[in-house]
Amino acid sequence: MRDNQSEGIVSRRKLLTGAACAAVAAGVGATSYFVGGPNRVSRSLGKKVIVIGIDGMDPRLSAAMMKAGDLPNLAKMTASGGFSKLGTSIPPQSPVAWSNFINGSGPGSHGIFDFIHRHPHEHCKPYFAAAETLTPEGFVEWGDHQLQLDFWPFNHKPAKTVLRRQGVPFWDYLDAQKIDSVFYDLPSNYPPSPSQYGHHRCVSGMGTPDMLGTYGTYQYFSEDTPAAGVREGGGIRSKLRFENDSARATLIGPPDSFRKSPTPIEIEFEVHRDRQSDAVLLEIQDQKIMLQRGQWSRWTKLDFAISTPKLIPNQHASGICRFFLQEIAPNFRLYVTPINVNPSDPAVQLSEPDDFIENVSEELGLFYTTGFQEDHKARTNGVFNDDEFRRQATNVLEERLALFEYAVENYEDGLLFFYFSSSDLQSHIFWWDESDGNTQHPLISSPEAASRFQYVRDLYQRLDSIIGDINDRYSGKATIIVMSDHGFANFGRQFNLNSWLRDSGYLNPRECTNVLVNGDWSRTRAYGLGINGLYLNLKGREADGVVEPGEEQEQLLRRLKMQLESVRDVNGNQVIRNVYRSSEIYAGDATALAPDLIIGYARGYRASWETCLGELSEDTLRDNTSAWAADHCADALEVPGVLFCNKSIDKTDPSLVDVAPSILQEFGLPTPSTMTGQSIYKS
Amino acid sequence: MLTQIAVSLNSIANPIGQVLLAPIEWLPGWLSATLIGVVTGVLMLVVFKYTSNQSAIKRTRDQIKANMLALSLFKDDLGVSLRSQGRLLTGALRLILHALIPLAVLMIPMILILGQMSLWYQARPLRIGEESVVTVQLADESTDAVQAITLNTNDAVEVIAGPVRVSSKNMVCWKVMPIRDGQHQLEFKIGGETSLKEFVVGGAFEPTSQKRPAWDWNEVVMHPRETPFAPDSIVQSIEVTYPQRDALTAGTNNWVIYWFVISMVAAFVAKPFLNVNL
Ligand SMILES: [Zn+2]
Repeated sequence: MRDNQSEGIVSRRKLLTGAACAAVAAGVGATSYFVGGPNRVSRSLGKKVIVIGIDGMDPRLSAAMMKAGDLPNLAKMTASGGFSKLGTSIPPQSPVAWSNFINGSGPGSHGIFDFIHRHPHEHCKPYFAAAETLTPEGFVEWGDHQLQLDFWPFNHKPAKTVLRRQGVPFWDYLDAQKIDSVFYDLPSNYPPSPSQYGHHRCVSGMGTPDMLGTYGTYQYFSEDTPAAGVREGGGIRSKLRFENDSARATLIGPPDSFRKSPTPIEIEFEVHRDRQSDAVLLEIQDQKIMLQRGQWSRWTKLDFAISTPKLIPNQHASGICRFFLQEIAPNFRLYVTPINVNPSDPAVQLSEPDDFIENVSEELGLFYTTGFQEDHKARTNGVFNDDEFRRQATNVLEERLALFEYAVENYEDGLLFFYFSSSDLQSHIFWWDESDGNTQHPLISSPEAASRFQYVRDLYQRLDSIIGDINDRYSGKATIIVMSDHGFANFGRQFNLNSWLRDSGYLNPRECTNVLVNGDWSRTRAYGLGINGLYLNLKGREADGVVEPGEEQEQLLRRLKMQLESVRDVNGNQVIRNVYRSSEIYAGDATALAPDLIIGYARGYRASWETCLGELSEDTLRDNTSAWAADHCADALEVPGVLFCNKSIDKTDPSLVDVAPSILQEFGLPTPSTMTGQSIYKS
Repeated sequence: MLTQIAVSLNSIANPIGQVLLAPIEWLPGWLSATLIGVVTGVLMLVVFKYTSNQSAIKRTRDQIKANMLALSLFKDDLGVSLRSQGRLLTGALRLILHALIPLAVLMIPMILILGQMSLWYQARPLRIGEESVVTVQLADESTDAVQAITLNTNDAVEVIAGPVRVSSKNMVCWKVMPIRDGQHQLEFKIGGETSLKEFVVGGAFEPTSQKRPAWDWNEVVMHPRETPFAPDSIVQSIEVTYPQRDALTAGTNNWVIYWFVISMVAAFVAKPFLNVNL
């Protein structure tokens, strides 16, 4: 994994910081020798709890594979300890589910109800629920630039990304008791929450942005892209024009943030191809990268110079990317990963403490730091085919395994949490279970679907062997929990909630294409946003609310629930298994942004792609023709996760919120009043 | 002419450097970098002492002190104050002038020393299995050469991709992978002529020449170890990308800053003992 591309960027800042740190460290060391240093000794007293989070691991598939003898290590764990379904969150979306795990309590405590939330006062402007970037306030102008000076007397507020998850994460209780906890790639924790006593360390996972501030934007260069280029969800395509087998291309970087009107910082690079030897040379920032067809480059460091007003030296931000040469001729195709934040020199805080990830990088070199690493967007947009996606996903898994090795090698005691995303993002693309309602894949033949589903099984087996290693290594010495946040189901048919609301007369006008763009709020009583959320256009809450709170609201909710639960597909199948009233299922201080109803789809169904961002389509129900062929944003009862433990599981029907109290109990701590979950072990 | 001088100077510096810097191979990087910094700092000081007009410098310094005193004593007397300030300025200028000769004398040896140090610290040798891109730059007028040049493989190195022939730049690149430790030679053939380039594998510290330079004084100064190509050679230069050396003291680029700081500190510490006026 170590990156060895030679590069000519001098990090003087690093040298100076290093020198200053050495001086300070020497001073602190000398002082603490006399006055007694800060007490950082762990009180874990050798107690070890290891939690392996396998996103999307499904209990049905796991049970079937164990029965067939394909998951020997998990089967062994089941025999000596326990295995159970693990109740997931409502709705069963990863950010919601992992927040349940983190707080040991439901969405009412952490305030994350969907991938997407909306600002009710700003005409329901949507934003990602887990974190939000606040717009800066105040600035001084200086030529073409504007600067936020956050010190007195200016006290400007620079743009800042804040974690929207509320409540108390369970590691705070460990931290307060001086019990060490370390988390690798924890979802729903970006920016990483601070550790008050210095006993908690964490690398942020799902939700961590790339250098462009997105969840991942690949860049793709080909000869057959339209001249104007294409911007698509998750990526940018650019056209390459070869002259004498050489071409110039431009990588789009982060915005030039000190400019009055920030434009992206661009990096020009050259592409030279040699058809005879089937190889390509890339020249970028004094680095030469040679690739053969089908080859991936190592991580390449990119230096983005952020321009500053005169007299102030330019700021630098370091990003990393990998190149994948898909084709040389006749249609040259080059994929570039999203530009990740460089873990060896992070431009934004990726870990708590912030040098944690730098220490990891010192040993492992460069690696993916964005939250979503498997590039599913490249697959669904057709930039990758199945094989290419699988190859990239395997790259990710190899990196994760190296990191896992590091995590285990550097673990002494306390809590170790490690997260695998592969099982979720590979399942979204490759899962198709014909035994699940005996349905036909909307795009491919049964044998094809079966051979792709085998990839998921292969992955389960790979993870099983890793769990076997850990069990051998820590047998009798640690409590080991293997868990997932939800399971999986086919996603063959998609339901447009907004179209249904329109057809049922709740959303107007009839020709509306997107409720956020050309909806008539004065004639709209309900709208769908996010994957499982339905909101009333409530007076006093929504900017142009029309539904009176109280009796009208109550009747409308009851009617919507009843009507939605009776929706049938053309073959007579029930589309929606349960509709939940948020007032009945959520409790806590953080319910203000909750949808009014949560739609729990039956297996095989999910919200349509369009409806999630307020769009409408002609039909309400149609086939899902995306390469993203499986999902879990259904009814929570349809897609529970898994719970394996090397100790017996005493609680019946354990659920995600029960894991945190169990971990605390293992360290001798009572279940705090902030948690609604209960320990899965007998006390 | 300049290139010829640089080449001649290198022919003296290379054997001396090879002997004097040999201990780098077995010392820890930080220690060798510190030792070189200390020794060169003290040597610079000694050279300064004997090439500068020490008594004149001392006189100037005394005058500066006197003027500073005058400034503080006659703060309120504008005339004295202005005159002292003027003298302070000329004093400072004179100090700089006095330093010019020693600087001129020191400049060339310093460049040579830095050139020799860069061979050890600027990059590290490749490890077995570690990929590298080799670039041959050909003369502008030799358009066919791009197609004609070949890289001969041997038992030390394997070509794993390429060549990529970039005719717009008269440049040919290969991706190679070392398979055996040692100081090897890469062998390029074109029209019956053979061009060689050093290729270093293994070892923590070994002189590592990144480029066999073109006939250009600037390049020759930067890459002193290998003989430059003749001005009329078809092959103009050959470059091997070596990995960065990650270290604060003896690492890529950092070593220059570290050397500068250490040599300055050493010179200032040694100043009173050697009785030098700066
Ligand atoms: Zn998922």
